[in-house]
Amino acid sequence: MSDSVTTQRVPSSVARFADGLLAVDLPRLPDSNRCDAVAFIERRIRVLPSITRFGVQAIAAGVHAAGVTLGHARVRRVVLKLPLPLLTEYPRLIRSLGYAYIWETWPDTDVDGGTVEGRAA
Amino acid sequence: MTVHHDCDVLIVGSGAGGATTAAVLAEAGHHVLIVEEGPWVEQGSVVPFSLDQMDQQYRSGGVTVALGMPSIAYTEGRCAGGGTEVNSGLYWRPPEATLDSWRIKYRIKDFSTDDVLSICEEVESTLSVQKVPGEHTPASDILRRGADRLGWKNDEIPRWMTYRDGAGATEGHRQSMTRTYLPRALAAGARILCEHRLNKIVRSGRRAVSAELTDMTAATDGQNAVTISFRDVIVCGGAIQTPAILQRTGLRHRVGRTLAVHPTVKLAARFDDVVNTPDDVSVFQVKEFAPNISFGGSASHPGLVALALTDNWRDFGSAVTSWPELAIYYAAITSEGRGLVQVVPGVRDPLVTYRLTKRDRDLLGQGLGRLAMVMLEAGAKEVYPSFKGAPVVRDRADLAAMTTMFAVARASVMTVHLCSTAPMGDDDKRCATDSHGLVRGTDNVFVNDAALLPEAPGVNPQASVMAIAIRNARRYCADRAG
Ligand SMILES: Cc1cc2nc3c(=O)[nH]c(=O)nc-3n(C[C@H](O)[C@H](O)[C@H](O)COP(=O)(O)OP(=O)(O)OC[C@H]3O[C@@H](n4cnc5c(N)ncnc54)[C@H](O)[C@@H]3O)c2cc1C
Repeated sequence: MSDSVTTQRVPSSVARFADGLLAVDLPRLPDSNRCDAVAFIERRIRVLPSITRFGVQAIAAGVHAAGVTLGHARVRRVVLKLPLPLLTEYPRLIRSLGYAYIWETWPDTDVDGGTVEGRAA
Repeated sequence: MTVHHDCDVLIVGSGAGGATTAAVLAEAGHHVLIVEEGPWVEQGSVVPFSLDQMDQQYRSGGVTVALGMPSIAYTEGRCAGGGTEVNSGLYWRPPEATLDSWRIKYRIKDFSTDDVLSICEEVESTLSVQKVPGEHTPASDILRRGADRLGWKNDEIPRWMTYRDGAGATEGHRQSMTRTYLPRALAAGARILCEHRLNKIVRSGRRAVSAELTDMTAATDGQNAVTISFRDVIVCGGAIQTPAILQRTGLRHRVGRTLAVHPTVKLAARFDDVVNTPDDVSVFQVKEFAPNISFGGSASHPGLVALALTDNWRDFGSAVTSWPELAIYYAAITSEGRGLVQVVPGVRDPLVTYRLTKRDRDLLGQGLGRLAMVMLEAGAKEVYPSFKGAPVVRDRADLAAMTTMFAVARASVMTVHLCSTAPMGDDDKRCATDSHGLVRGTDNVFVNDAALLPEAPGVNPQASVMAIAIRNARRYCADRAG
């Protein structure tokens, strides 16, 4: 897991998954941007309508528990590939929220997460 | 500690239905109290269509979904003025044929098409409904150009906006409810309690006697209880919350059983020039295949462009860096499917489900294909359809491939037009309320919002909601005066 999440308070299952997913999808996204995006995702998940929220949290807990036993990266890859209807919605929701936040907040972000500052450095 | 209020008429919700109802009743001398779950946010203080706006003015930050195969994402306003504060402002009168058919099919009494249309005229004047006096946005021009080249019917849709002389599309001032009917209601003596959520209406037999609310601004749980006593209550919480409120009150006859929406599928299109105007949407719609299929433009903030590309990020993702050259469009259909809104005991928000029919699925596929054709005709270099596994469309051959690959189960389907969860009419087998919104089995509980529309009108619905709400509010005043 990246520093952005480990330096915070104990992260939720959703935060851990989101952080790992964004770190793989957007490898050059600065840690602080990813941390903000994960915080945004968590905020939005907290205000989801009750039943959707219970569903997301249940899937997140299951994915996290599997990750503790089998390794988070491995479980993440499986979750992304398995065509199970509700399970596929989970990474899709996390990505949708994360990408929307990242490009709305830093519209110059590259497709791999690189930023103007990163390019200049 | 519980705070208590009294009023003649309690109005729940301050959107298109609630605000108009409040103005009519307050001006007729009723002592009106409006309760609104969301905050009062001044027009212009938040960037339109931004995530910030979604945080402040949408329910659940805009992430709400009707479960199904596929699930349909929907959004509801949750602020003073409801959906009218955040919507695109595109104004359509209800079609005459639709009003005629509703009157007959649902046995709606005193529902003359001429009367409804004459109320629409009043609404048009109050909201300054008009076309853009000056320049359109590039995204608008694209839709018109593409449709013109195909010889397809298209038109500029007027909006509830005021403009200075010759002003362009982005310079309008939205005439939402916080600018129009709510100030009118308040000037006539109505009061509004924002950030107050109604939890439950308490009944004694056929009469509702009081309401229990939560003051969401209160610092602690022990200080946030509010009760309100009233003579009558009018529920205007929108098509999802209204049936949930009624069900929690024990009113279930035909309530929440017939949710109707206009489902949409989307695509992003890339052009050679800058075409993206993040804070505005296209005012043109293509109506060649109406009422079954219509095309229009969606909000295209860079975040929303990224969202539109997410499902095929590996193939589409690189386009995100060209977001200024991209705009998002939708194909909307009139759906024959229906959905359910159901409260689940002990759970705060209702469960919402929707089932598309085979015809709906086919129409969505046809719609997306034809919309992509409009984009290519308008000069799009690349089109990115929003369904998993979609190809990039650069020419007619790609378009043919895309059409065969389309599967609605893999598409991002969404809607912003929700209605029909407490339909009105004298046919009690179909309708939850009588012909003027009085809920069956009660003497003083009314509905007056989008839930009353017996079906999705096939056009943007706010004018239909407002015209019917004003009609019913006037009838209420006439009845209570007599
Ligand atoms: C993004 C978007 C774009 C749209 N674009 C257009 C368009 O261009 N043209 C058009 O004609 N229509 C458009 N619409 C649809 C239009 O806004 C709605 O049809 C209309 O607002 C419905 O009016 P309503 O009174 O039924 O509900 P709303 O306007 O949604 O108002 C309901 C209000 O009730 C409040 N409420 C709900 N439950 C409670 C409770 N328990 N306690 C207290 N308050 C409560 C809510 O917070 C809300 O403010 C759009 C909608 C959206 C969301």
